[in-house]
Amino acid sequence: MAAVTSRAQQFGRPIAIIAIIAVTLLFLSPIYWIASTAFKPRDVATSVPPTVIFEPEITPFIKLFTKRVGLREPPTEEAYEAAPWWEQAVLDTGERILRVGEDVQLSQYPNRFANSLIVSVISTILAVSMGTITAYGFSRFKIKGEGDLLFFILSTRMLPPVVVAIPMFLMYRQFGLTDTHLGLIILYTAFNLSFSVWLMKGFIDEIPKEYEEAALIDGYTRMQAFFKIVLPEAATGIAATAVFCFITAWNEYAFALIMTNRRAQTAPPFIPSQMGSGLPEWTVIAAGTVLFLLPVAIFTFLLRNHLLRGVTFGAIRK
Amino acid sequence: MAVLATLESDTRAAARGWSDLTIRNAFILPTIAFLVIFNIFPLLYSLGFSFTQYRVSLNQPAEFIGLKNYSDLLSDPGIWQNFTITAQYVIVSVGGQMIVGFGLALLLNRSFPFKGLVTTLLLLPMMLSMAVVGLFWKLLYDPSWGPINYVLGLGKFEWLTHPTNALFAVAITDIWMWSPFVMLLSLAGLSAIPKHLYEAAAIDRASSWYTFRRITLPLVAPLLLIALIFRTMEAFKAFDLPFIMSTANVETVAIALYQMAFQGWDTGRASALAYIVLIVVLCITNIYVKYLNKIKER
Amino acid sequence: MRKHTKAALAGFGLMLASGTTVLAQELTIFWAEWDPANYLQELVNEYTAETGVTVTVETTPWSDFQTKTFAELNARGSAYDMVVGDSQWLGAASTAGHYVDLTDFIEEHGVDETFVPATLQYYSQYDGKYWSIPAEGDANGWAYRKDWFEDPAEMEAFKAEYGYDLGVPETFEQLVDIAEFFTRPEENRYGVALYTQTSYDAMAMGLEQTIFTYGGDLGNYETREVEGILNSEQNVEALKTYRELYTYTPPNWSQAFFVENNQAFTEGLVAMSMNYFAFFPALANEATNPHAANTGYFANPPGPNGDQHAALGGQGISIISYSQNQEESLKFLEWFIQEDVQERWAELGGYTCHAGVLNSEEFLNATPYNRAFAASMEIVKDFWAVPVFADLLFQMNDALHPYITTGEGDPKAALDALAAQWEETLGTS
Repeated sequence: MAAVTSRAQQFGRPIAIIAIIAVTLLFLSPIYWIASTAFKPRDVATSVPPTVIFEPEITPFIKLFTKRVGLREPPTEEAYEAAPWWEQAVLDTGERILRVGEDVQLSQYPNRFANSLIVSVISTILAVSMGTITAYGFSRFKIKGEGDLLFFILSTRMLPPVVVAIPMFLMYRQFGLTDTHLGLIILYTAFNLSFSVWLMKGFIDEIPKEYEEAALIDGYTRMQAFFKIVLPEAATGIAATAVFCFITAWNEYAFALIMTNRRAQTAPPFIPSQMGSGLPEWTVIAAGTVLFLLPVAIFTFLLRNHLLRGVTFGAIRK
Repeated sequence: MAVLATLESDTRAAARGWSDLTIRNAFILPTIAFLVIFNIFPLLYSLGFSFTQYRVSLNQPAEFIGLKNYSDLLSDPGIWQNFTITAQYVIVSVGGQMIVGFGLALLLNRSFPFKGLVTTLLLLPMMLSMAVVGLFWKLLYDPSWGPINYVLGLGKFEWLTHPTNALFAVAITDIWMWSPFVMLLSLAGLSAIPKHLYEAAAIDRASSWYTFRRITLPLVAPLLLIALIFRTMEAFKAFDLPFIMSTANVETVAIALYQMAFQGWDTGRASALAYIVLIVVLCITNIYVKYLNKIKER
Repeated sequence: MRKHTKAALAGFGLMLASGTTVLAQELTIFWAEWDPANYLQELVNEYTAETGVTVTVETTPWSDFQTKTFAELNARGSAYDMVVGDSQWLGAASTAGHYVDLTDFIEEHGVDETFVPATLQYYSQYDGKYWSIPAEGDANGWAYRKDWFEDPAEMEAFKAEYGYDLGVPETFEQLVDIAEFFTRPEENRYGVALYTQTSYDAMAMGLEQTIFTYGGDLGNYETREVEGILNSEQNVEALKTYRELYTYTPPNWSQAFFVENNQAFTEGLVAMSMNYFAFFPALANEATNPHAANTGYFANPPGPNGDQHAALGGQGISIISYSQNQEESLKFLEWFIQEDVQERWAELGGYTCHAGVLNSEEFLNATPYNRAFAASMEIVKDFWAVPVFADLLFQMNDALHPYITTGEGDPKAALDALAAQWEETLGTS
């Protein structure tokens, strides 16, 4: 993206850079604070004045992955000495790790994280692919009542999730979809579909029709033209749409809470649950948050150029 | 879907492979059908319930009571209060996001080192789970053990437990989280403005305010409006953030609905409220979309 | 759903008829996320070791527990075999047919003789039948700062001001005095931490305890009469007292529950903190509470007329009607109610309701708070357990929270309005 070269802006360049740095730091400070909390000793997390310099530790991550219980009396010296370092770290915070026989009991976190991946990835693929072909249909063919249909599609995104929650809940109960991956995948696909259609229609509108017409004359079928000409051209748009859909599905909370239990529940309802012993485990919640942020942050970073360019394409329509 | 059955094909149907009609239907119908099944069908389901006295939690059949749920709700000052709070929340939070987001976009719309990285970093807030954001900001705001009051030197200033401050506190969090979304859309719009327009303005020695008002703003307007539509829709649905941060002081319609439906299990009444909400949102969005079409026609 | 029930019954019958014991090798118990659930996991691990049946305790945060449980129950879901559910749910869950009737089981196994009667009454009984086995006893009690209470300078100042010795409050009025005495914002010290949260039952629990202490009631649970009981003189007094206590809480205290109350204590903000006994282990733990050595505990003191009551917490364990492992669940309960298992339960940290274990010296001396806990269990009283309890809760929150937190409005008028509203909801008149 080339700089806009108005004189005023050139003159203000150093000031602008300083402002960018300042604003970025301001925006990131809560994130820094969450991320640093994930490495803090427990008592440092809520100290006032805030502790800036502390010895980072990974105990919160050990706790995140294990099932623990508050100690009712200090451990005996032999027991403490016999424990491996990671177990000692947990004992130091007044808790012990539960075991079945010799085996350490893991928390639900890994399981929930896996559920999140399954549900988000599949529903994103579905929403984006359905959105893309539908957008193509709307973009290239004449359809009676096109505006109304598009508004209908948009309107499905307007409902507060709780509005559809009751009937959805009853419907799921009848079809046996509660607490299944499929149930959540369908829900999130439905959520994202309207957004996906609207965004993709913008991108596809930008691709000149002439490209396909030329291909058709060259002997391509309409389907071949779609796959070989339109899809590659729309790649940036697809990437941008995928990022938005993935973020939405990845973080959805209310439906995951109501519609799923132990089999299919995703991580967002689990992460805030570390209030176990009657005192909030801020460090563990932060650890869960940081790990959970990574996939979506990496995904977005990889697609950053598409994201910026993609939106440009989609948004500006004739 | 009778609409789709009557095709007026102006594109020459390709003789080979699927006909255009087939392709069009195959591309559009699944989406429409999917959305109808998972949106319209549940809505009809709850429309029925909204005329009954029914609790999904009890083993009793629904009892038809006509419009009583609606008249009860509309005469309940508590519900009006919920709508008022929601409206205030939408105005403060969406207004803030538009200003901050657009401001950020103006600032970032130039070349500088690490631009891609900085942009991604600024997008981080919207990648977090609302539940987690709510919890941590609640801690940040706490006057006894949160850092905000300490850093700003506010002493025991009450954010979330104060009846009027709470709305602003939750809105600030929402602004922090979603301004990047507005920023991204605005950046896209800004970078698409043809440079020669600015060059022409510079030759005419136009003031930067004039350039902004006559060139920048009108050309970004459609995009800003799209951001506005999506953010308004989301803010109107606000549930997670206010619920986790300050249920009592920022009781939005979505929260009232949630409590009625999933804590009190008053299914009939909750369905009626759901319908009232639906109608309001439909009206608001309709106005926006009309306005958007007008702008695009210009 | 009738089809479902039929199918379930058919399946069940088939299973019995075939004679082969096709029993589940896996059971799931649902509870809220807190230490007792972890203690229970440890306990049931021993059952697994004995029988080979895997038992998992599934948890969800307290704030979602009610919603989540009833969502599952109303969906007739079979994800959970048993639930350790709140006492107020009995009416809703039993009338809707979510819970398996355990009356025969309890009588057959003499649970009604070995468990504390009050716990059976509140955790298990509804409409003359038993729906659960009391699992985790709990009541609302108090933690206090011994070092502040025993500081000679404080003691002298207190005596000069109030005319009696500073110590563990013997009456509720003394508790109010002490709270007032320690409220010194300039020192960042406050008198008391109270329950005030309105997203579920927190405020109601704190307030009802004060109401019971002042000799009042929330209504007649048999006849469902409320008028004249909820808005009685005593209740107005109790409400005013709770409001007064609120003025001695730290700033930002209008939405507090167990987490905030414990945190106020560990951060050294308050002299006294109201909380359920199940949350006190965190205060007795040196690693989580820097003041652990200086923390004492007491049962809610008697009111002006000598009435002494504590708000009931705790849960009973029920079998869910839609579980496909009901037979195996019954076997598990059979194991759970044995005296030695209950002893082990108490040893691990669970608050047993088994009379023999609860009153043993060993239990009473096991922790600094067990004695206050046992005393509290003698004086417990509970909220409504009717199917519409949730509506009653929310109406109470809406009607009384503003007065408690701002002091504006007339307490009598607020109670009058609430009484009328409750009668309508309960269908009394």
